[in-house]
Amino acid sequence: MTRFLLRRTGSAVVLVLVLTAVVFVLQAVSPGDPVKAYLGNNASPAAIAAQRQALGLNDPLPVQYFHYIVHALQGNLGMSLRTRRPVMADLHDFLPATVELVAVAFVLALLLGSLYAVSGSLRWPGGAFFRGPLLVLATAPPFLLALGGIILFYAQLQVLPAAGRGVDSTGPSGFVLIDSILGGDATEFVAGVQHLVLPAVILSIAPSISIGRILRSSLDSTLASDYVRTARSKGLRPIVVLGKHVVRNSLGPGLSMAGLQLGFMFAGVVVVEQVFSWPGIGNYLAASIPTSDFPAIAGVTLVLGIIYIVANALVDVLQALADPRLNA
Amino acid sequence: MSADLTARRFGVPQVTIARFAGRRLNLALVGLLIVVTLVALFARVLAPDNPVQPIGALNLPLGSEGHLLGTDGIGRDILSRTLIGIQTSWFSALVVVASGLVIGGIIGVAAGVSGGWLDNLLMRLTDLFLALPGTLVAIALVAALGFGLQNTLIGIAIVWWPYYARIIRGEARAMAARPHVEAARLAGISRTRVVFRHILPGVVPTAIVTASLDIGNVVILLAGLSFLGLGQAAPAPELGADTARNLQQLLTQWWVPVVPGLAVLLLSLVANLGGDAIRNLLAGRR
Repeated sequence: MTRFLLRRTGSAVVLVLVLTAVVFVLQAVSPGDPVKAYLGNNASPAAIAAQRQALGLNDPLPVQYFHYIVHALQGNLGMSLRTRRPVMADLHDFLPATVELVAVAFVLALLLGSLYAVSGSLRWPGGAFFRGPLLVLATAPPFLLALGGIILFYAQLQVLPAAGRGVDSTGPSGFVLIDSILGGDATEFVAGVQHLVLPAVILSIAPSISIGRILRSSLDSTLASDYVRTARSKGLRPIVVLGKHVVRNSLGPGLSMAGLQLGFMFAGVVVVEQVFSWPGIGNYLAASIPTSDFPAIAGVTLVLGIIYIVANALVDVLQALADPRLNA
Repeated sequence: MSADLTARRFGVPQVTIARFAGRRLNLALVGLLIVVTLVALFARVLAPDNPVQPIGALNLPLGSEGHLLGTDGIGRDILSRTLIGIQTSWFSALVVVASGLVIGGIIGVAAGVSGGWLDNLLMRLTDLFLALPGTLVAIALVAALGFGLQNTLIGIAIVWWPYYARIIRGEARAMAARPHVEAARLAGISRTRVVFRHILPGVVPTAIVTASLDIGNVVILLAGLSFLGLGQAAPAPELGADTARNLQQLLTQWWVPVVPGLAVLLLSLVANLGGDAIRNLLAGRR
């Protein structure tokens, strides 16, 4: 297991290095001028030259790359051309909202995906009435689902809010749900949940189908195996067969798919946050795109990319724990 | 990664009504793909009005006379804009899928046929791409390349091929081990000819199925990027961007932002059903 852990950590580190290299090269060729972010548009040529020297922009590219990594490790991702603030400070402000939304959506996707798989595999009566609509919804673009959700639940039924997180400012953790529990504020918690429902459900639908389908085919093949027939024929109750023999042996592919889906949720969250005015990193990215604010775009790509790489490494470790044959 | 996983990498699933249906329904669904392609091809002829010129009253509702899908906030015909948007979306998606097929096909076949160090090198590179969050990298790529539909397509194409390379490499490898290829080699046929006459034809069905199942994914992805402003510049009609630009009308004139989004749903549904049908037809043949 130790060897497996070391190897998996090693490959994750290599991936992060590759990602930083990609982002660095893109930043080097991008049209925006980082010097102007520091000095504004009216700086004198002498000041610009001095700042270029100070930022190390006259060094050879490999040296710049080395400095880029050192700075990134120190938490310095450069200045945003749009907000004129350090990108790291912006990310610090906007990341928690996104993490909260994606985490809730991810759990929802796992629940919906499991429901999809189990209801299909065990042929629950009426399961098709759940799976069919979910399938159709999952072929729609996320922004259309968001619009539909707002029209139905906000404008028509008036049961759910359509914008923001429900609180003006967050407490120490930056997560509405956690802060409201810590502060014992029930109304804030309810408001937080209400604001999360629509964006999180919309974000979870497409991934839930991908996870559900893989999980279902995996469940089906496990259910057809000899040891499950043995477990059944020795008189174990179906729920015990499922819990003790089937689920653990079927989880692997579903877990892998869940890890991959996280990448697509990061892409989807940018769109969903924009529709719901969610004060997160996705909205920040969406605002940075039209202004060609490359340091900000690079920072978002780097942070979300690293979360993605780490999450997938964790998934592999979880899989190896569930199935020791994998850590050879 | 298991074959299961590479087979369905995306959020967008296949709608599998067609799997249980007969050959006739499958053919009809493939026909639907052709109809959409024809509509996209002749969008400029079909569009009743100029898509960028204001031609009517502002915000006419659905079913208005002369403007079936109404008009937008500055009086442009929504049907015309949506038709041109369908053209852009559909052909862009086809271009991305074709680029994935060509680049991934060349790399996959090269790796699968040659084996050894080249196979190893190409597949490590492919895995590297697959392990990075492709859509995010594509957004960063486009932002660095500069805006415009062409750069968006280039950006996506750069992150799109690895999936094809993986699948086609596996298929080429399996083909290369078949007896008929061995026989061809023993008969002294040149390596190039073996690849083109004896391996490629065997890879084509899998490649076509993979590509046709992927069109829907690309349609959704492109619509999302266009929604974020990574598409054509302002007056040009584009489905995602038309939704994004008219978002503030959602609660007063809902059809203005919703109609282009419904067109994306339509394209993605047709692509998924058609892709499924192609798979079933090819599976039935073998």
